[in-house]
Amino acid sequence: MAKVLIPTPLRQYSDKLDSVELSGATVGEVLGELTGRYDELRRHLYSDEGKLRSFVNVYVNDEDIRYLQREATPLTDKDTVSIVPSIAGGAHGD
Amino acid sequence: MIRIEKDAWDRMVAHARSAYPDECCGAMLGAIDNSHKTVKVAVELENAYQGERGNRYELRPEDLLRADREARRQGLDLIGIFHSHPDADAYFSATDLKNSCPWYSFVVLSVKGGEFDHAACYLPNADQTAADSEELVYPN
Ligand SMILES: [Zn+2]
Repeated sequence: MAKVLIPTPLRQYSDKLDSVELSGATVGEVLGELTGRYDELRRHLYSDEGKLRSFVNVYVNDEDIRYLQREATPLTDKDTVSIVPSIAGGAHGD
Repeated sequence: MIRIEKDAWDRMVAHARSAYPDECCGAMLGAIDNSHKTVKVAVELENAYQGERGNRYELRPEDLLRADREARRQGLDLIGIFHSHPDADAYFSATDLKNSCPWYSFVVLSVKGGEFDHAACYLPNADQTAADSEELVYPN
């Protein structure tokens, strides 16, 4: 069972849990389990085409899965999966 | 409604002033009780934007991940993001909206001539096409 940490604003869709233990051999499987259990989470994390939203980054422990094997990244019981958004901005552009 | 406690607010203003004339950015940790949010701790983060930082900012996701861990360690939640607008008002710009994340409260601090001027808070919608104002309460 890998542990998935739920960002604060999304806990309203995960029965208020701040982390969820899920089985799955890869990041994709675990996120599939998560969004299968909590349907509302799916539309916050995935686009209509079923891809992770562009501002959603997924980390296994300290590593961005883009630099691992993306959603095929294998997981062990000791791994923690974090969901971290990309955020930027600025006064530019009114 | 989002209320910022004095220690956190002082750090946010100090960070915005010291980054001037560049934009600053950081994370706000606290608690949410229904729709009432309280910011107890502000964490300064580096503006990682590669380019002119006078009117742009970018957070490194790794830094945000560390802020989230720090929040959990303190029994708090990551509830918002702050950044500054040097010599500009505290509006939510098109750039802010396009690069935001609809999960968090976004506080913007206007810094004019190096001094804090005013602030406002925004909640972007899920499609990042508009942002509502959120009532912001901060110490004088
Ligand atoms: Zn801005």
